[in-house]
Amino acid sequence: MTTEHIRNFSIIAHIDHGKSTLADRMLELTGLIDERDKKEQLLDNMELERERGITIKASAVTMPYTYEGKEYMLNLIDTPGHVDFHYEVSRALAACEGALLVVDASQGVEAQTVANAYLAMETDTELLGVINKVDLASAQPERVAEEIEHILGIRKNECFKISAKTGVGVADLLDAIVAFLPPPEDNSDKPAAALIFDSHCDDYRGVICYVRVFAGELKVKQKIKLMGVDRSYQISELGKFTPEMTPTDKLGTGEVGYVIANIKQLADVTIGDTITDENAPAAEPLVGYKPPMQMVFSDFYPGNNTDYPKLRIAFDKLALNDSSFSFVPQSSPALGFGFRCGFLGLLHMEIIQERLERENDIDVIQTAPTVSYEIVTNDGKTKRIDSPSQLPDMAYVEELREPFVKLEIITGKDSIGAIMKLADDRRCKLLKTDYLSPARVMLEYKAPLAEIVYDFYDLLKGISRGYATMDYEFTAFEKSNLVKIDILVNKIKVDALSLIVHRDNAAAKGRRIIIRLRRAIPRHQFEIPLQIAIGGKIIARETIKAFRKDVTAKLYGGDVTRKMKVLKRQKEGKKRMKSIGSVQIPQKAFMSILDTSE
Amino acid sequence: MSGEDFQFDSGQMALYVHIPFCTSKCCYCSFYSEPIIDHDSKALVSALIKEMEKYADADFRTAYIGGGSPSCLASEQLLRLVEKITHRFPDIAEFTVEANPGQLTPDTLVQLLNAGVNRLSIGAQSFNTVELEFLGRRHTVDAINATVSTAKNIGFKNINLDLIFAVPGSNLDSWSKSLNAAIALGVQHISAYSLTFEQGTLLEKLLQLGEVEPLPEELDRQMYELAIDTLSANGFTQYEISNFSKSEFECLHNLTYWANHPYVGIGPAAGSFYDGHRTINMADIKKYIAAIQRDGDPVTQTEEPNEIEFACETAVLNLRRTQGIDMGEYEQLTGYDPLELFADTIDKYLKMKLLKIQSGKICLTRDALPIADSILCDFSVI
Repeated sequence: MTTEHIRNFSIIAHIDHGKSTLADRMLELTGLIDERDKKEQLLDNMELERERGITIKASAVTMPYTYEGKEYMLNLIDTPGHVDFHYEVSRALAACEGALLVVDASQGVEAQTVANAYLAMETDTELLGVINKVDLASAQPERVAEEIEHILGIRKNECFKISAKTGVGVADLLDAIVAFLPPPEDNSDKPAAALIFDSHCDDYRGVICYVRVFAGELKVKQKIKLMGVDRSYQISELGKFTPEMTPTDKLGTGEVGYVIANIKQLADVTIGDTITDENAPAAEPLVGYKPPMQMVFSDFYPGNNTDYPKLRIAFDKLALNDSSFSFVPQSSPALGFGFRCGFLGLLHMEIIQERLERENDIDVIQTAPTVSYEIVTNDGKTKRIDSPSQLPDMAYVEELREPFVKLEIITGKDSIGAIMKLADDRRCKLLKTDYLSPARVMLEYKAPLAEIVYDFYDLLKGISRGYATMDYEFTAFEKSNLVKIDILVNKIKVDALSLIVHRDNAAAKGRRIIIRLRRAIPRHQFEIPLQIAIGGKIIARETIKAFRKDVTAKLYGGDVTRKMKVLKRQKEGKKRMKSIGSVQIPQKAFMSILDTSE
Repeated sequence: MSGEDFQFDSGQMALYVHIPFCTSKCCYCSFYSEPIIDHDSKALVSALIKEMEKYADADFRTAYIGGGSPSCLASEQLLRLVEKITHRFPDIAEFTVEANPGQLTPDTLVQLLNAGVNRLSIGAQSFNTVELEFLGRRHTVDAINATVSTAKNIGFKNINLDLIFAVPGSNLDSWSKSLNAAIALGVQHISAYSLTFEQGTLLEKLLQLGEVEPLPEELDRQMYELAIDTLSANGFTQYEISNFSKSEFECLHNLTYWANHPYVGIGPAAGSFYDGHRTINMADIKKYIAAIQRDGDPVTQTEEPNEIEFACETAVLNLRRTQGIDMGEYEQLTGYDPLELFADTIDKYLKMKLLKIQSGKICLTRDALPIADSILCDFSVI
């Protein structure tokens, strides 16, 4: 098929604005699936994604479509809709010429939609405005169209008004995709160049690369080279997603599909890399994507030290299917051997956490998530540290920098005051206020990532009764007046509990932390002092009192089995905790240090 | 593991008979019992005797009739049961019957003594009227005093009083009075139990409803320590977490449990540890009687601890005794050296001074007794 008859597009939408339903409706209209045998929301592959109502990994599908008597091939590349997954969105967008910007007719434009639309504009992706759920009684398509025009510059009379649920307007939208989105550039006579925009690992078939061919073609048995990592392979199978993997002989310029080439591990494939012909290579790799930026870090330690190898295997497996997740061995004087893990954001971290628990039987102690910092040492060197424990003695540190982000919040005007107060408490600086309509406003802040990464979103949702949405994007590391808080449990410094905070509220924060720790660590057979130190100076102390009575009064013949079970349970409870010195610290204690509730 | 692997001293076998009847249920009691008026006690005693016949070849050294309230049985039924036991097992050295104050007449007590019962365990619980009421006990303080003095006059030389402390509303002073009243009666044995909010009891329900509140932990501890101090100052030796006796009046029957030696439990809801199996009989009087009558098996639960489980159980049970784990005895019984099997745990608690080793025995220290479970749980699994 010539590139003239191909359209590659993705859908940009806020969570729950109906992206997956729209995709399903398109699959139905193009005859790829039957209403009867469609699994709800086909593009969301993983169980976890379905449960959380989000799409984590990009996925793709090829649909045949007839427009004005001609056959077209529409390739839909799915994108995740959550704030943590900017990078994945950028990968998908770079493989497309166009995108549908889907906005809920009763909710209006949300912060993530704006951020992703900007991302699309940066990559010269053509946007079609789509207002979904027009069938709802609460729909205000005209108001939403005005918002779209105001904030994204898509003309309000050019927006498509559809209902993915009932199917209204979807056929017109498919026509519009062909009519208004540009076809791929025809580079079929040039050396093969295909962009890897996603990949996943199959237990039986190895790595499956999701590709968009930009020039030349890929064929079965072709010897190929991954230009970035400079490795050669031979294609054993390629094909399209219809939506199942359907093998074909070749993928031509402009086409989207998959390539299997006996690649064993996901680590061997870099997303954004270019596949070319080994014998007739392209002169230059395609312009790649931004590499994933891990902004949140957390240590994982096996509850039981002998589980360390098991934990490594589990992480290897998780990393196989998620190139945005990284882990490196880490050892802590207090917690022993574990791993420092990097995530795109907090949601990403939670997903990995859940997978780890779901797919493996390992008790894990996880430290509170922290952002990455930058230090300039006395000798002028700049270094990234992604754990407070890596912070050297401040005598050797010239400057301590923390990551700042551009934070965008869209909210109704009723909650502006409360949100501004929250932002102010979190050291955010207001840059811009923009009224999208008389009732809705977009606030733009410069914010320290550390202040918004943990619970900011939940608080924002709370004070806006669920209406506010936010998105953020890293801008730069900047100097801040930061100090490290150390926590001593039973006189032993627990490095995994250390954290870096702004000096102005360090002491108050420290005091709150040990009160929470006192509640989170169970009483022991002895008294446990908890101390907070800033710059080596103890500034506060709390005490966990010893328990005084814990003994079964009666244990006779008929009770043995039952009482043994009770004791075993008591022991199991201890096992799930981490021993530091003679103190058992439960998982919740590690997380409690970031809890800001009173 | 089969029974042959154990090195039992069959001379230490214990026989327990459970009488699942009460006149009324006490709020704290989790033992199986039903109102006696609802049942045919004669049929039950016949069933008990029949179940016991299965163990006719066993060499029981102790017998214990507990409940429930054995003393609420009609005296001829109780005597029939006692006589059957002593007739069948003439070598029984210690024969205990549990009795509620005021429930056995002097005549019955004489007949029991003559039939071979040589130890009485009296459910006194408290010498404070308000506490007795709270606990749902139907006897008075006078009844306790009367029962003990009658029993002594008749010739019982081994009497236990059960006491309960940390009852809501009590304090150190009322507990001290109960302890001293018990001591003043000149009994040989006192069991002092901290009130437990057992699952499934009325007391637990009241706790959940917020109708009662447990005493503060610190006060519970002080009461426990007061018991240890008061009783030892009055010639009692603590030989188990809740048990105190005059010299040579330890309860041999209960020591069987803590030694983890075999025992046979007869009757509804009774537990046995026999032939390497831990079993529990069905907790239903009518079904139990029916099962026995048709030569069926009254057992509902069976567990067969493996070697390690048996070793863990033994350690936990032994450590409840103040003499603790006798290392020689332990190795002979379980095949394991406790110092090796529990090396890390023992090492940790020796350092914390919650365990001590003396003359070949590993035992809890005085500081460890009130928090024993937190230590014993580390011996419950390997």
